[in-house]
Amino acid sequence: MKTGRILKSAFKGLGKNKLRTFFMMIGIVIGITAVTIVISAGLGAQNKIMERVKKFGLESLMIFAGGGREMGQPTSGGPITTLKIEDAEALKREIGNIAGVAPFNRKGDGVVKHQEKSITTRIFGVTPAWAPVWDWYAAQGEFITDEDEARMARVCVIGPTVQQELFGGANPIGEQIRIGNVIFEIKGIMQPRGISPGGGDMDNRVYTPLSTFMRRVANVDYIFGIKVLLKDARKIDETVVTIKSILRERHKLAAGEPDDFRITTPTEVTQFAEKVVGTFNIFLVLVAGISLIAGGFVIANIMLISVSERRGEIGLRKALGARNRDIRFQFLLETLVVTITGGIIGILLGFIGSTILGAVTQLPVSISWEGVMLGILFSSLVGFIAGLQPAKRAAALQPIEALRS
Amino acid sequence: MRAIVKVKDVSKVYKKDSGVPIYALRNVSVAIGDGEFVAIMGPSGSGKSTLMNVLGCLDRPSEGEVLIDGQKVNLLDDEALARVRNQKIGFVFQSFNLLPRTSAIENVELPLIYSERDKISGLAKAALENVGLGDRLNHQPGELSGGQQQRVAIARALVNDPEIILADEPTGNLDSRASYEILALFQQLNRQGRTVVIVTHEPDIAEYATRIIKIADGAIESDAANLNVRRAEDVLKKIANTVEVKS
Ligand SMILES: Nc1ncnc2c1ncn2[C@@H]1O[C@H](COP(=O)(O)OP(=O)(O)OP(=O)(O)O)[C@@H](O)[C@H]1O
Ligand SMILES: [Mg+2]
Repeated sequence: MKTGRILKSAFKGLGKNKLRTFFMMIGIVIGITAVTIVISAGLGAQNKIMERVKKFGLESLMIFAGGGREMGQPTSGGPITTLKIEDAEALKREIGNIAGVAPFNRKGDGVVKHQEKSITTRIFGVTPAWAPVWDWYAAQGEFITDEDEARMARVCVIGPTVQQELFGGANPIGEQIRIGNVIFEIKGIMQPRGISPGGGDMDNRVYTPLSTFMRRVANVDYIFGIKVLLKDARKIDETVVTIKSILRERHKLAAGEPDDFRITTPTEVTQFAEKVVGTFNIFLVLVAGISLIAGGFVIANIMLISVSERRGEIGLRKALGARNRDIRFQFLLETLVVTITGGIIGILLGFIGSTILGAVTQLPVSISWEGVMLGILFSSLVGFIAGLQPAKRAAALQPIEALRS
Repeated sequence: MRAIVKVKDVSKVYKKDSGVPIYALRNVSVAIGDGEFVAIMGPSGSGKSTLMNVLGCLDRPSEGEVLIDGQKVNLLDDEALARVRNQKIGFVFQSFNLLPRTSAIENVELPLIYSERDKISGLAKAALENVGLGDRLNHQPGELSGGQQQRVAIARALVNDPEIILADEPTGNLDSRASYEILALFQQLNRQGRTVVIVTHEPDIAEYATRIIKIADGAIESDAANLNVRRAEDVLKKIANTVEVKS
């Protein structure tokens, strides 16, 4: 009851000194606006990266030919030729936790032509298992089939970017394109997938049957990598160990010799992405934090001035029966009301700002409840810390001293 | 007669930087009885305000005892003193001390905010009606005359139904007509049974009290019943007549 009355009284006091209230609020509004925009931008970036990571798949891992190096690029001399289609088949056969294997080979920048038009693209040789393992299917027409694979058919499935570049809007199914000297018939168009975790355009691709690719495009008997889909993602570590031992045995590697393949798990990809986002966020939060601290100082100062201006009021309230803690409560409350109101205004402005920022810069922004909670938490915290000292000072005033002024 | 406030051998000493102590009060003993209307008189700097503040538990004496309603308050902590002020004392100040930009009724509600009781609605309105301002509830101090502002302050002092009203130079900032209005109000409250103490340095004002205490240099010089109490209402009537004659 009494608390409610003091609360009401504090609110009224603020309404009576609008200019002071406004100046106190402005610092916190700016700080919280900054925090909100920072969090929205940071979360947007994080979501974008995690979205890309998810495209890779969290229940899968990747085996690349070549040991100990990033993403299986050849070290020196010739390419690593030890990873074979049979390795993929053996893993599928021997490991219970494997739901599917998608062996593939690829060619970095292949030029694909249709009549006068051409595009530089990535050419993949894949088996039909590619589609379920990546959870990525043909949007129109048909994906590579077992029959295509067995017949070494000269057919291909193209990504939306390739379709756009070579055919504009027209339906390309049944049309022919030329890869090197070989003519392929287009039998399907892939679902769009956007940007890969590495930043490449996953829609700028041409898929051919792996057998056709190995014989007619690259003329090799080895593969570039195998994507492995797991049944139970929690057993990933065990499965990696088993894959290693099977491959080492098949490749006849003696103990002490390094692996001639490399396994990438989603954990690694996720960790890398989080590290990048984290560094970015720390920097931005620091900037926002500094502006909040500055806002806090402004508020503390204005409150201190307010306390000395209102000595008479404080003395009067004490003469009328206010206890020290009632005065302390009133002044702390005034600061908190200002900062929390400022915080809420800041959050709203931050959301508007983030939306505009997102629209202007094309950067991803994401508005979240975490941002709202954090904004309110920060503003109450700043209010509490900034209000503590002035409130203490007000409470410590002696009633006669305060009344004298 | 029951003593509402009683001080025994009270002294108040201020230590100056020079080291020479200043005695604002020296060994003052006085008892204010229930239903009295006391005027405390004396020249500037004689210790009137200091005595009032001690009587009202706003200030602690350096030495001596203070009893409110028979309860010894010397040893009470700040919090308990605040409760005594809230429940038993009603202060009125020379410069009214109303909160600016705050309506009369909200000003009068101020002591109620800090009271422990839960039912407070209607009390502030009744107090304002009691001082004749039932039609000015939502006026702000800036919209009221000095006399009206002081009456708001008196309503504020009355709202918690205190044992005693302590008024330090309540007419000091008022013209003579408003001063008599305030004195008439105090006399009316006193007739209703309210104990009132006012501080003044004008002998004319003291004439309206039932007992006059004179202090000088921190000590009581004389303390006697006023045998010839004047009625403020009579003076007001006379003023009204003069104005009528003039016009
Ligand atoms: N805080 C203080 N520090 C030092 N001396 C003080 C203090 N307060 C009061 N005094 C001194 O105590 C004496 C009594 O002061 P007090 O205010 O009680 O006088 P007063 O009778 O109310 O005077 P006035 O009629 O001017 O209001 C004065 O000499 C004053 O200077
Ligand atoms: Mg005085």
